[in-house]
Amino acid sequence: MCEERIRSYAQDKRFGSATVARWLRQPAGDRRALLEFAVRLRLGQNQFRLFLDMLEGIAARRGCTVSDVLALEPVVSVLSRRLGRNETIGMLKRVLHRLRYPQLAEVEGRLAELIKALPLPVGTSVKFPDNLEGESVTVILNAVSARDLRVRAAELVSALQRPEVEEIFRLLGGEW
Amino acid sequence: MVRGFEPEEVWIERSELNSPVAKKVLSHVPPQVVHVVEDARAGEPMDFASGKRRVILTRNRGRFVEACPGGTDGSVCCNYLVFNVVTNCPLDCSYCFLQEYLANNPAIKVFTNVESGLGELGAILRAHPQRRFRVGTGELADSLALDHLTGLSRILIPFVLGFPNALLELKTKTDCIDELLAFDPHERVIVSWSLNPPEVAATDEMGAATVAARIEAARRVRLAGYRVGLHFDPLVDYDGWEVGYGRLIEAVFSQIDSRGVAWVSLGTLRLTPRLETVIRRRGIARRILGSELVPAADGKKRVWYGLRSKMYRFMIERLRAVDPTLPIYLCMESPALWRSVMCEVPSDRALGLRLASGGER
Repeated sequence: MCEERIRSYAQDKRFGSATVARWLRQPAGDRRALLEFAVRLRLGQNQFRLFLDMLEGIAARRGCTVSDVLALEPVVSVLSRRLGRNETIGMLKRVLHRLRYPQLAEVEGRLAELIKALPLPVGTSVKFPDNLEGESVTVILNAVSARDLRVRAAELVSALQRPEVEEIFRLLGGEW
Repeated sequence: MVRGFEPEEVWIERSELNSPVAKKVLSHVPPQVVHVVEDARAGEPMDFASGKRRVILTRNRGRFVEACPGGTDGSVCCNYLVFNVVTNCPLDCSYCFLQEYLANNPAIKVFTNVESGLGELGAILRAHPQRRFRVGTGELADSLALDHLTGLSRILIPFVLGFPNALLELKTKTDCIDELLAFDPHERVIVSWSLNPPEVAATDEMGAATVAARIEAARRVRLAGYRVGLHFDPLVDYDGWEVGYGRLIEAVFSQIDSRGVAWVSLGTLRLTPRLETVIRRRGIARRILGSELVPAADGKKRVWYGLRSKMYRFMIERLRAVDPTLPIYLCMESPALWRSVMCEVPSDRALGLRLASGGER
C-alpha cells in the first residue's frame, strides 16, 4: 500500500528510478515517514534527495532510523509551525544542517559571532570557504570614491587588530 | 573473522593449472569448489558481495607494478609503488574504494604469472640502484588475507630482499601471520596494520579481525623481529572519536614498542561521488555516512578542513606523547593541510626517501 503511494507520488513529481529505488530500499517505517514528509512539503526530486541525504546522515551519526530523526523535537517543532512551504523548507534545512554537521555548525555559529563583533566598515563583507573547506578568508570592501576607500580601508585595518581575527583563523585551522 | 578464509568457489583457467600459485591454492581447497574453464573472466559474479567469496586464478594481462594513485590530485605523495598480485579481498569494509574501482570485476583475482610480475618489479628496482623504493601489496588487496592459500609472501619476501634498495610493506586488517612467522624476519619487511577504534571496526570493517586480534598479531610479528607499520586511515569522525582514537593509541602502544614502528600514516575518510552512491546502494555503511563529510577541492567528500585538521592534530599529539620520534605522515592530503598540522610541506621525493629509509631514527 505504502509502496504504491510512494510510486504514485514519485510518478507525479517525475522522480527518477534511482531515487525511487533508494526510497523503497528504506525500512518500512522510514518509507512511510518519508512519504508523509514529502507530501507535507510537496517535495520535488532534488529537495527530496537533499533531505534524504541529511536524514540518513543524521540517522547514521546517531545510530537511529530516519523516522526517529523526523520525530526529533527540533524537526517536529518546525513542521508544526504555521509557516509557508518555502519558509518551512528553509528552516528545516537549517535545523537538519545543525543535526547533520554539529561541529561544523558550531564553528560556523562562532565565526558569525566573531564577524559581528568586529567593527567593520559599512559595506564590508567577509566570506569563508564553502563548508569551511579551507583556511582562506575573503574580505570585500565597497567604496564609492578614492577618499571613501581610504577611510574604509583604515577602519578595516583598525578592526583587524582585534583578537577576534586570530580566533577566526584558529577556528578555520581546526583549533577549537 | 577472515582468519583462514575459505572461498566458496575457485575458478581457474585450464592453461594455469600447473602454475605454482595455482597448485598451492588447489592443494588447499576441496575439489568440488573448483571450476576449470578456458577463460576465467566468465567466472566474474555480477555483484560485489558475491565476488568476495569467489577466487579466480588467472594470468595478469596488464601491469603488475603501478605508482600509488594517491599522488594524482595535488596531494603530497610518498612515491609508493604498488605491486598487484591479488586484487580484491574477502574483507568488506564499508568505505573501501575497491567497491568502485573493481565494480565491474569484483571476484578476488590471484594472478598465476607471478614470475612475470617479479620480472617487472625487478627491472624497476635494478634500473634505479641509487633510489630507495617502498613496495606494497596492500593497495588492491589485503596483503595477508589469502596468504595461507597462495603462499605469496614466501615468494615475494625473498625476492624483494634480494634488492638492497627496496623495502616491502605487507598491509593487512587480519591476523593471518602464520606464513610470516615461518621466515627469519628482516628489517626491510614491514608488516602494517590498518586500525580504527573497535566501535568503528565493528560497524564498518566487516570480516576484518577484531582490533584486539590485529594488535595481538602486530605484537607477535614484532616479537618475532619484524618492524611494524601503523595506518590510522581512514580516521572516522563520530560522536566520541577523541575518546575512541585516544584509547586505540593507548592499546596499540601498550603492546608494541614504538622503536619497532617503521611509520605511522594518518588519513581521513574520502569518498568519490560514485563510491558514495555504491555505498548507499549496498547499505553496508553504518557509521561512516554520519561523518561530517563535505565536497573537497579534489571532488571527493572529506571531513571538512577544520575538523580534519583537528583530528590530525589530536592524533599527532597523542602519538608524539608516546614517542616524539615516530615517523608520521599524512596520506592524500594537500600541501596546505600539511603545512597547517605538520608544519612542513615535504617534496614527494623527500617524503618518499624519508619513508623508504624505513623510518630510520
